[in-house]
Amino acid sequence: MESPRDRKYFARKKVCRFCTESIEMNYKNIDTLSRYITDRKKIVPKRNSGLCARCQRQLATEIKRARFMALLPYTVLH
Amino acid sequence: MAVKPRYYETLYIIRPDIKEEELAKIEQRLHDALAAHEGEIIRFDKWAQRELAYEILDYNRGTYYIIIFKSLPGAVAELERHLRFYNTDVLRFMTVSITEAAANKEKAAQENKAAEESSTPEAAAPSETAPSETAPSETAPSEAAPAEAAPEPEQETKPESEPATAEPTEGGAN
Repeated sequence: MESPRDRKYFARKKVCRFCTESIEMNYKNIDTLSRYITDRKKIVPKRNSGLCARCQRQLATEIKRARFMALLPYTVLH
Repeated sequence: MAVKPRYYETLYIIRPDIKEEELAKIEQRLHDALAAHEGEIIRFDKWAQRELAYEILDYNRGTYYIIIFKSLPGAVAELERHLRFYNTDVLRFMTVSITEAAANKEKAAQENKAAEESSTPEAAAPSETAPSETAPSETAPSEAAPAEAAPEPEQETKPESEPATAEPTEGGAN
C-alpha cells in the first residue's frame, strides 16, 4: 500500500555497512568509529548512519568505550 | 554450577613520563595478580603511544597497554584493584569481556609472531633493539619485541600510533 505522500521522495534502500561488509566494530578501531561521529563529536543517529538497530546499539557502546579510554573526545570543548 | 573461565581484554593508559623501573613494577604486579588467579595471559604488550582525546590528570599523551587473558571472573576485580593502586601512573583502565573467537584470533596472531621471531631472529633483532623502551620490562622480551614490527591488524588502521621509537618522555613535557 503506497500513499501519495511516499512517492514524493526517492528513497534509496539503506543497507547496514557492518552487516554487509566485514568490518570489525571495536572500540580500538578509531578510524572506523570516527566516521560515525558528527563534527561536534556526537554519535550519528540511526537515520543518518543507516545502520541496523543491532549495529547501531553496538556502535554506541563502542564509541562510549573509546571515549572513556580517551581515544575519542566527548565534545569539542575539551 | 561451576563458574567458567572467560576471556577478557584490559586496556590501560600509563602516563608518558613514567620511569622504566616503575613501569616494570606495575607490569610485574599485574602478571602476579593474574597468575595468582590462574589467569592465562594470551597477550600482554604495548598497544600504542598516542595523543589523548582529552586531558587526563594534566597529561595530553599516554601509552596504551593491552592485556588479553582468560580467567575466572574474580580475577578481573583483582587485576583492577592493582591498576587502581597505581592511580597516579595508570591514567585510565578498562576491562571488557571478549568472545572466545576474538581471543583465539589473538592467540593465533601471537603464535604467528613467535614463529616468525624464531625463524628469522637475525632479521628481527637489529631493528628491534634500537628503540630503548623495548628492552626493559616485558616478561617475555622475545615475544614482546616484534610487537612493534609485526603488522598487527589494529595498528595498520592507525598509522599515527606506529612510531614505537618515540621516547615516552618527549610527550610528557607539555
